[in-house]
Amino acid sequence: MFRSRSWFGGPWGGRPKNRLSLEHLKYLYSILEKNTTVSESNRGLLVESLRCIAEILIWGDQHDSLVFDFFLEKNMLSYFLHIMRQKSGGSSYVCVQLLQTLNILFENIRNETSLYYLLSNNHVNSIMVHKFDFSDEDVMAYYILFLKTLSLKLTPHTIHFFYNEHTNDFPLYTEAIKFFNHPESMVRIAVRTISLNVYKVQNASMLRFIRDKTAAPYFSNIVWFIGKHILELDTCVRTDIDHQSNQKLSNLVAEHLNHLHYLNDILLLDIKDLNAVLTEHLLHKLFVPLYIFSLTPAPPPPSLAVVTQNLAAVLNRNVDIDIQEIHHPRVSSIVALYLLSLVFLVVTHEPLVHALAWVILNGDHSVFKEGAAEILNSYVEHREVVVPSFGEPHESLEQALDTVVGHTANYSGDAISEDSGVESTPAATASPSSQQTETVAEAAATQLRNITDEEKQMLQQSTSAQSVSELPNPFLETVLQALDCTENDYLALLALCLIYAMSHNRDGMKNEWFEQVLSKSMRGSFSYKTAIIEHLLNIITQSSQPSCRIRLITAEIALELLLTFTKPAADDAPCITSSQQSLLFSARNQSMVVLRNFYKSEDIFLDLFENEYNEMRKAQLNVEFLCTYSTILLPPTGTPLTGIEFTHRLPCGEVEKARRAIRIYFLLRRTCQKFLNEKETLLPLTNVVNLVQVDNVLDLNNSDLIACTVVSKDNTKQRRFLVIDALQLILVEPDAKLLGWGVAKFVGFLQDVEVQGDKDDSRCLHITVHRGGVTHNRTPLLSAKFLFDDHIRCMAAKQRLTKGRSKARQKKMYQIAQLIEIPGQLDSPLYPVCGTSSHCGNSRLAQKGANLTASRVPGFAAVLRGNNSAGVSRTQMAQNRSIEGIRNESGSRSRRRSPNAGSSSPSSLRTANAVLDRDRSPSGSGGSHSSSQSRENSQARGSGNRSRESSPRMPRPRSEEIPLEDFPHSRNNSPHSRGAMGNPSPSSRSHTPSRALHFDQISVHSGSPRESSCVLGTNALLSQLNGSVAIAREVIPVQSSEETSFIGNDVEADNRRKVRGNIETV
Amino acid sequence: MSYAYLFKYIIIGDTGVGKSCLLLQFTDKRFQPVHDLTIGVEFGARMITIDGKQIKLQIWDTAGQEAFRSITRSYYRGAAGALLVYDITRRETFNHLTTWLEDARQHSNSNMVIMLIGNKSDLDSRREVKKEEGEAFAREHGLVFMETSARTAANVEEAFINTAKEIYEKIQEGVFDINNEANGIKIGQQATPTNPALPGAGGAGGAVNSGCC
Repeated sequence: MFRSRSWFGGPWGGRPKNRLSLEHLKYLYSILEKNTTVSESNRGLLVESLRCIAEILIWGDQHDSLVFDFFLEKNMLSYFLHIMRQKSGGSSYVCVQLLQTLNILFENIRNETSLYYLLSNNHVNSIMVHKFDFSDEDVMAYYILFLKTLSLKLTPHTIHFFYNEHTNDFPLYTEAIKFFNHPESMVRIAVRTISLNVYKVQNASMLRFIRDKTAAPYFSNIVWFIGKHILELDTCVRTDIDHQSNQKLSNLVAEHLNHLHYLNDILLLDIKDLNAVLTEHLLHKLFVPLYIFSLTPAPPPPSLAVVTQNLAAVLNRNVDIDIQEIHHPRVSSIVALYLLSLVFLVVTHEPLVHALAWVILNGDHSVFKEGAAEILNSYVEHREVVVPSFGEPHESLEQALDTVVGHTANYSGDAISEDSGVESTPAATASPSSQQTETVAEAAATQLRNITDEEKQMLQQSTSAQSVSELPNPFLETVLQALDCTENDYLALLALCLIYAMSHNRDGMKNEWFEQVLSKSMRGSFSYKTAIIEHLLNIITQSSQPSCRIRLITAEIALELLLTFTKPAADDAPCITSSQQSLLFSARNQSMVVLRNFYKSEDIFLDLFENEYNEMRKAQLNVEFLCTYSTILLPPTGTPLTGIEFTHRLPCGEVEKARRAIRIYFLLRRTCQKFLNEKETLLPLTNVVNLVQVDNVLDLNNSDLIACTVVSKDNTKQRRFLVIDALQLILVEPDAKLLGWGVAKFVGFLQDVEVQGDKDDSRCLHITVHRGGVTHNRTPLLSAKFLFDDHIRCMAAKQRLTKGRSKARQKKMYQIAQLIEIPGQLDSPLYPVCGTSSHCGNSRLAQKGANLTASRVPGFAAVLRGNNSAGVSRTQMAQNRSIEGIRNESGSRSRRRSPNAGSSSPSSLRTANAVLDRDRSPSGSGGSHSSSQSRENSQARGSGNRSRESSPRMPRPRSEEIPLEDFPHSRNNSPHSRGAMGNPSPSSRSHTPSRALHFDQISVHSGSPRESSCVLGTNALLSQLNGSVAIAREVIPVQSSEETSFIGNDVEADNRRKVRGNIETV
Repeated sequence: MSYAYLFKYIIIGDTGVGKSCLLLQFTDKRFQPVHDLTIGVEFGARMITIDGKQIKLQIWDTAGQEAFRSITRSYYRGAAGALLVYDITRRETFNHLTTWLEDARQHSNSNMVIMLIGNKSDLDSRREVKKEEGEAFAREHGLVFMETSARTAANVEEAFINTAKEIYEKIQEGVFDINNEANGIKIGQQATPTNPALPGAGGAGGAVNSGCC
């Protein structure tokens, strides 16, 4: 719009050259003077002049005070007004520019005196009350922003330019709030900003004006507007069972939250009088009559009730049916619980929050008639009894404001009721309800004529039923009933949110008070608190069952609340009975049983396990955040197609069921540990303290280094040394100062490494280090080509990476097995039993078990047995056992050693585990492996052997292990091996050393310059290895990989040659 | 002044990154950036053409509304597009992007198109944030990225129009519910909205022309 720059083209010769100068302003003034009437022909010129004036004034404000003097001297604002008031000549076209000029002017002005001058002659107020064409969206936008800009200039000094104490004029505020319900959201936001900016100004007489003249009408309109919005929201929830109009619902929820936050922002300004009025309105016109009322059971159909009353009237009897109550609008209990939760989550104003909580916990039906004034009275004095009702204000805000403010003179007569301020509120509420009764009575009169005997009988029944159902604390009862999860947790989640919100309200609610109310007895010695705890335990127990209908988030809040309600008062013990505690612990054990079924049945179990742990730690429970999701208002669903976050819905499919089982277990484990005052020692699986970090300086003397060049995607080359630790892949650069030390430039977890050979270059490997777990960020940590000096080193690196990966994974799987007490890991009797069964020789089973071992997630008990002593720290295991209260350590250690030490055949081991496996997950190892069976079988033997070798307790020298053991296998399986070699894709996993390769590797070693002459016994060697990598700055003990036996062991060359000779003669 | 659609934008980012200058540069070219004179505005509207359709862009700035939580949070909703701006000569404005983005993601509707803008690209000598860093951030968070200069007008048009194009595409795909004004999209009175299932008739190639200026 208005973008043409040609208005200053040629015709005006007199135009000064310098755009930003006093001369130019004078020239523009002459244009205004000459064009007092807006017409088609001159409006372009006027618009351009107005724009230039803004520019010059801003420049003048910062550079030349004469500019402003001229502007004020010529009273140029009056020209603005004059132009504005003309109807002709496309006024909105000019008005938009005028408003923009004014906006720019007030927004950019820095000089305070200039501002005072601009405001001093009341022109600004005249502009504000001008009736612009607000149907033009640009006029509306510029106008409301003009008011907002002015409101930002409000200070105790400038307020007098806007608020006239004598005439009770405050156009900035009264004009703005007329738009509080404008369809354009940005306009509504601006109105809220303006009102808050106004309230913020500490000026007593202005605030008095606000309270006396505008607070009641403005707040009652806001409340009515919010209530209507809620009814719309409720309709949306009722009709949107299938999650179809999610956008609409989420917009409605967001808008409601905006309202609530706005009200809270007003309350936070802590203006006593204003808060009193607002509190009253909210409580008695919205919270009690709509929210709390909706917690009561649904009434009989209105027609019936009306008839009842009329009948009663005819019979001259008193019937206890409140017609009004029946005609009250209500929302579903889901929405009511949700809205109440939001109030406690957002609002912190003590009297309001406290009174509402009191009503929920202690109130009964009388509150609808008598109101919560009594409770409020303890906070605010002189409160009259108000009958709560949700009804439309009898005057629209506009009318109310007009009567209050009048147009200057004639207001005094009309606005009598409003003058009395707070005291007038009862009057204001009374009228709509009386109107309502009237119409009801009319309707009743017509109904009365055609009533039948049948209906009379029904009436009597319904009235008697009504009187019986009076409970002492009906609202609290409703909330407690909602906690029942027998069918699903739809209502329970929202009830939990409400309880959570009430008990965690930031500062409005005093916790002791809350406690006190809850511990009041319900029936006999049974307190409400006990009732809540039992309900919570019920939810927790149910959620630990294999196929329950309880969402993770529900379980999490329930656990959190359990902790809250059992928190020891002062120095007492946690107030939980032993039976309650044992319920909690049996739920934990149950969740462990469920989780065991998923152990290794999914290929990505380890990734899931670690990822869930990280997710759980990252995501702190935030109920306020949860309540911004509109989806919790809809029935729980399982499908991820709705876009609902995993924890907020039921699991879908096996992977998600596994995730859920893992998560529930973590949650329960964490809570149980809190009850026992224990610290988590077994999780996370990787102890971060022991990890090498980037920029650590490492002592690499005696560690295995493979030199390589790392070529990244953008072809930058870096010379690095590859170090393979027990858990990590480390790329180091030699340290400049210390010989034999290196600086870690990159670290990644071995378990996330993917290695691929290069078809064309045998010295080259493609290594990708993924981000661990199931993250959303799919870009790998590192993805690069590694160039080695020769193909031997390349193969060595590849093998060590591949092995390192599976080792690292095995180790962690073993840790998990320990954690969830997989029976095969610890039970001694199981082992011999299985061992004997192996002699029966079911080779198919043996293969199956072996396959599972070799697959990506090795969960194989016996095979893993070898690693644990190196992988899991002894203390950790010891702690584990003491926590779970199971076996002593030495026993299991000796058991662990036995299968390896005695040279039992690997096949018997495998069979044993196959049997174990079958026992544990009957369906887990179906026949689907057949396609890859042969290859995996070869791997299986390899890995089976590897793990045996890796046991540090093996009595043989380590250097011999791999060549001797691996070699025959690789030769036996040579067809498979070659096949796998030719196909690069599974290479990261495949264990395919060819015969030639082994020799090469060994010979590399014999010729290695790093050979040290020290000959060590196995134990000494091991201890040396374990201490070989040390970090200089913060000395972290890094466990060296057990794989070192293959390449980097400092064993005598002679010894190796002997080994080599042995192999050759095989 | 009739249009097929109206898209509402917001501009977010630290103070002093040149948000209102960008806005002024795009909506009111007449305000020539002059040395020593910065004019801030918080609203602007302009017509552009996408796919042969007149589209009105309405851009709202947050200026001065930061004091109240209720205001900042409500601001995000109701916008179809957001320009997230940082200043390439001030590292801290780049560092704060995560916070801005979190806020935006939390409070906006999920379809809002966010464009990351590194402003003041004319001040290359004082650059503290590399272009690559901006690109990487955008890639990581799924944003469109562009470096602009409100002073020289470089890329300013493109930033606003590309965002509009993306919103327009989302409408064509049926992602945006155009009948719900809370999404920051309004259908013009005289406009005849095409069936979202059918790609706009006639405007093959999706040529984009800026409005008159």
